[in-house]
Amino acid sequence: MNEELIIGIDLGTTNSLVGVVDSGFPIILADSDGERLTPSVVTYRGNGSIATGREAVRLQQLEPERTISSVKRFIGRPYDHLSTEEIEASDYTVQPGPSGGIRIAFNEDHSVSPVEVSSEILNHLKRVAEAALGHEVSRAVVTVPAYFSNSQRETTKAAAEAVGLTVERILNEPTAAALAYGLDKLDDEQTVAVYDLGGGTFDLSILQMKEGLFEVISTAGDTQLGGDDLDLAIATAIQGRLGIENLSTAESSRLRAAAREAKEALSSVDTHTIRLPFFRDTESFELELSQHEVEALMQPVIDRTRSICQRAFAEAENKGASSIAHLILVGGSTRIPLVRRCIEEWFEITPNLSQHPDEAVALGAAIQAGILCGRVREVLLVDVTPLSLGIETFGGLMNIIIPRNSTIPAKAGELFTNAVANQESMAIRVLQGEREMARDNWLLGEIDIPFAPGQKGSARVGVQFSIDQNGILEVLSRNTATGEDHVLEIRNSAIDVDDTSVERMVSESIDHAFDDMNERIWTEAHMKSEELLPAVESALELVGDKLPDDEIDSIREAAARVKTLLEGDVSDATALKQANHTLDQATQTLAALLVEAAFE
Amino acid sequence: MGMTNCFAILGLSESLILDPGDIEASWQAATREEHPDRSPGTEEHRAAALNKARATLSVPVDRLGHWLQLKLGEFEPNRSIDPELMDLFASIHSALEAADSVISRYQKSTTALTKALLTKEAVNVQLAIQERMAGIHSLKQSIINSFPELEKAGESGDFEEAKRNLGQLKFLTKWEQQCQARLLSLLDC
Repeated sequence: MNEELIIGIDLGTTNSLVGVVDSGFPIILADSDGERLTPSVVTYRGNGSIATGREAVRLQQLEPERTISSVKRFIGRPYDHLSTEEIEASDYTVQPGPSGGIRIAFNEDHSVSPVEVSSEILNHLKRVAEAALGHEVSRAVVTVPAYFSNSQRETTKAAAEAVGLTVERILNEPTAAALAYGLDKLDDEQTVAVYDLGGGTFDLSILQMKEGLFEVISTAGDTQLGGDDLDLAIATAIQGRLGIENLSTAESSRLRAAAREAKEALSSVDTHTIRLPFFRDTESFELELSQHEVEALMQPVIDRTRSICQRAFAEAENKGASSIAHLILVGGSTRIPLVRRCIEEWFEITPNLSQHPDEAVALGAAIQAGILCGRVREVLLVDVTPLSLGIETFGGLMNIIIPRNSTIPAKAGELFTNAVANQESMAIRVLQGEREMARDNWLLGEIDIPFAPGQKGSARVGVQFSIDQNGILEVLSRNTATGEDHVLEIRNSAIDVDDTSVERMVSESIDHAFDDMNERIWTEAHMKSEELLPAVESALELVGDKLPDDEIDSIREAAARVKTLLEGDVSDATALKQANHTLDQATQTLAALLVEAAFE
Repeated sequence: MGMTNCFAILGLSESLILDPGDIEASWQAATREEHPDRSPGTEEHRAAALNKARATLSVPVDRLGHWLQLKLGEFEPNRSIDPELMDLFASIHSALEAADSVISRYQKSTTALTKALLTKEAVNVQLAIQERMAGIHSLKQSIINSFPELEKAGESGDFEEAKRNLGQLKFLTKWEQQCQARLLSLLDC
């Protein structure tokens, strides 16, 4: 019974939810404790058992290296896409997998992939739904950030399928939120924007709503920008203020939690006291932070959402969309007053706060699930692909086949021919992204186009690239002689393949992990110093006369420290990084003066 | 690959002069009716064809190209460049190069200070590109305004002018896209 039912899942960076449509209305399902939010946290305990959700959060202090949070930031990405900061910011050990993917390692014999961790969370949600509904469920709509690439979507889908959920649709989070917003406004005709700033990702989507048709016009985003980055910025500042160095995993995890608590508290009060009793041995710390201070730390992160919004606005305008009537805020990080003030100031629009920041996406997922199982009839959703799809051509250039913001499903054909006589096949690299050079884009994989034997230019194979409604690519080749189609496999080594050699490779690389990391930090810090030092000289020359003497002195002092460390060796990597950071901080006013002068 | 007729797919007359509102309305009506989420069993292929038809017809250069293809089948494109465009191209080219230079230096910068040093140059480049885009727009618009004449000439079997205008429009569209891409990148500066 009820085999037809489809659940809607919001698989978030920080929290996850599950919902369903009941009597025409979307609802969020609560677990046995009556809680609707499940923390997206999994602990692989030392005793071999696995804990998820709130239980895993409780274990975080006990087993920090074995507790995995924010795994969504790693899903479907090749290891070499990760920045040093990302690897360092993680409490758990992130390692390259045998074929370029990511593994999370606990010790020499035990590691898991981000997909496996996501599967645990999805399985937890499936059980919550089954307990609430009183029957089994096997079909789901799962949301992802709109800006997720093909491989991030595919791996999310695979994670759900691994726990027995057939994924009926991969749905974009801001689009889901728009459904939740518009369900009771089906008679209205309006253009809306959804600003979705979550724990780890940011999206902005612009939609037109008309008589139950929800059509996405444009979307832009950053899959590595969210509340986690705010916490990190605050935690780094607290660490600096307290003068604590060389944090252990447990300490950094505690500091991050304290930063997050401060961020949340300062959304409603002016000052907050951070208390860290027995932080290091018997040493306790206490620090008072003001809303003003914390906002200054968050500002640079929040500023990054601005140009992303402008991109989406510009593209919507190019496509002839009418002006935006409402800018809807969703995602936990939009509770921060600074976010709301910035939006108001940048775009001269009062943000629409009608949606529940944590629940709107899950409600939308439930609505889309309702559409697909026939429980919601008057609504239809049409989305776009966030990234351009292309192939690599001569000279390493990207040749766009399906441009970004194309309505999906989308199909486009290309004709390929043999360049020399009796060529058996041709390898094509399939890419996703907006950069002109192929190497700067995501490599989705390679396909082999088979040719029939014959003279140069005689073989003709039509290749059809299609992006389905999940935003996932399929490539078909058509033999023009026989009219036969067949699916071309997209070979991608970077997405975790289960392999028996995985464990071994991981344990080998763990031994070198520390040296490698130090080396990487040194190289990056070195480059930054060499960029920063001449810039300080030029900037002082241009606008130094507008700075008070004591500020110039502190800049000179910070620059001198960088110069000294630059002469040192690789063991000083973290010190050089810290010195760069200090110089960077010391020159903030100088940078602001330059920007000001540019607009004069 | 068989020739699809985008006009027919959307039930529109095979004309160069189409009202954007009509294209939208036809697409919406057909999508409501035939979208696979609405009518289970309908193939995704049909929705993809509707999307493709709308995308083609709502962009003037693609509409003209598709119209010519329907009239002539495969045809030899006219690759000549009007002298007026040639002059514009020279000025666009230098503006794009200046933009690329500042964008690439900006992207390589990792500190607020090095970025701030580039702001003034970025502002100037942005103004230069916006100026070029205004030039592109006015040339594009004058070609689009001539669509009724192109259609009329086509009725008497003369497609030379249409082919020449298609060539010019393609150049202008490409430059416009290049300018737009730079402006988007400059947003980050």
